[in-house]
Amino acid sequence: MAVSISSLTRGYGKIRVLNDLSMTVDSGSIYGLLGPSGCGKTTLLKVILGFLIPENGEVAVLGGAPGEEGSKVPGVAVGYSPQEIALYQDLTIHETLLFHGRLQLMEPARIAERIEWLIDFLDLPESTRLVTKLSGGQKRRVSLAVALLHEPELLLLDEPTVGVDPELRARIWQHLRTIADSGVSIIITTHYIDEASKADRVGMMRQGILLAEGSPSNLMEEYVESTLEDVFLKLCKREVKA
Amino acid sequence: MNFSRVRAITARKFSSIRRDHRMFAFIILMPAIQILLFGFAIGQDPSGLDIITIGEHPVFTELEDSEDLVVHVASDLDWAITEVESGRAWAVIVADEGNLTLHLDASNQQVMQKIVSEVRTALEDAAPSALPITLAKPIHGQQDPAFINFLAPGIMVLVCFMFSMILTAMAFVGERNDGTLDRVFAAGVKPLEVLLGHLSAFSVVVIGQVSVVIFIAVTVFDIPVEGSLLTLFAMGLLLGWAAMCIGLLISSKAKSEFQALQLVMPILFPALLLSGILWPVEALPIGLYEFSQLLPTTWAAESFRSIMMRGWGLSDPLIWQSFLIIGVFGIIALIAAAKSLRVRS
Repeated sequence: MAVSISSLTRGYGKIRVLNDLSMTVDSGSIYGLLGPSGCGKTTLLKVILGFLIPENGEVAVLGGAPGEEGSKVPGVAVGYSPQEIALYQDLTIHETLLFHGRLQLMEPARIAERIEWLIDFLDLPESTRLVTKLSGGQKRRVSLAVALLHEPELLLLDEPTVGVDPELRARIWQHLRTIADSGVSIIITTHYIDEASKADRVGMMRQGILLAEGSPSNLMEEYVESTLEDVFLKLCKREVKA
Repeated sequence: MNFSRVRAITARKFSSIRRDHRMFAFIILMPAIQILLFGFAIGQDPSGLDIITIGEHPVFTELEDSEDLVVHVASDLDWAITEVESGRAWAVIVADEGNLTLHLDASNQQVMQKIVSEVRTALEDAAPSALPITLAKPIHGQQDPAFINFLAPGIMVLVCFMFSMILTAMAFVGERNDGTLDRVFAAGVKPLEVLLGHLSAFSVVVIGQVSVVIFIAVTVFDIPVEGSLLTLFAMGLLLGWAAMCIGLLISSKAKSEFQALQLVMPILFPALLLSGILWPVEALPIGLYEFSQLLPTTWAAESFRSIMMRGWGLSDPLIWQSFLIIGVFGIIALIAAAKSLRVRS
């Protein structure tokens, strides 16, 4: 088990963002976290990263409590791509990746090798281009490159495919599948429902609550719907009634 | 603490500083302009002052040689007084059988003191034995010290302090807001590593600032430096570092650049007014005087003055105590910033 959360509650001040939330992410699997903006996805990722301490509940990430002494999270074990692109605008692509490689204490030769591969794989422009001169989609791909750079065992990707063209999006998913098969665990938030259906397991989140969790096919079977979209809609209606 | 990560942050910050030409101009030009303006506007001797003399006295011939006074000769006292009343002259000096009477416009203290001091000097030159007082060569400082000699060391301290603090206070807020700092923390970097990385990158800038400030004071304004330039430079640098630490503390608290500026201002004014920069701290009322002794800028200003005017060095208690106090102040601010910049909340 890469991530295991039970009865997690966490908010900011008096506002409660996550409410009695439980989820599990198997090692070497892709977990799609689906939900509208403001539902608590980013807060959940920050708990997993160890940035936010749970008010209640248990959180185990890669076998330890994140942020505690001796945990590899935050640290070399995790790759994080935040929703806001979070890149230094006045650096070049190369300087950006070099910086993060150095922070991860990677060997210079290894950094160079990874940069070359990522620029090719993510179809990035020449590495001397300044981040500020890139298009929105290109920035997002650089942001993804930073998360993939040091080949971490856990990837937390917050909306990594917004504004990325379909062909490249398909290639990114193919790559995520490849590394998941080699043992990397991936949590990816999205509000593209068709994208979530490619995940091994989907969590449907709304207003800080995980409405349902399961493989896409199981969810559709269980709620007798033909698409994940309809499953989500059904769950929302049920929630409103309750 | 991992110094490879500190170095990585320093290198990254360098690339940014190198590219930001506006910031670069701000960093080097602004302190230069500020110290130039201060030096020209405050503390220089007033000159071109019109005065009127009535009667005959050996002092008047001396006064006519003065570079700063413009002497007009008159015979009618009433007319001369009207001239002062209407602001066309600053003083009337009447000689009556060897006695001198000064009728002054005392509305401007600096101008009045200048005229009195000129008359006194002229009197000494005209009749050296007339006064029973002799001013021997001063133990510290020059025979006839200009106000700028008192002011310049304080202004140098203020400029070193102010620009170093603003530098870090502004530079760091953005990174906390745009998610880039979160990303650095996700890599397992500790807050102190981030702070030290910024500090060492900006140190190069502060070295430039302190050099510019000392260079202008010495070359443009001809302020004497009796003591060691190196000690002076080292103290300016240490003060700059301490100010950067305070700036980082501000950055770690402020939610926006505007808020950072709001926090900078309440620090800047006490530093300007309570550190003996514009006026001696000995003039402060009880309570405020004690408070002034807690400010690193007070120690720095007094030390700058002593290094420059008195020629003091590290062996004098004031100087090494200042190094110690400013250093401790910086370290406390740095620790507070590291505590305030928490990864976990």
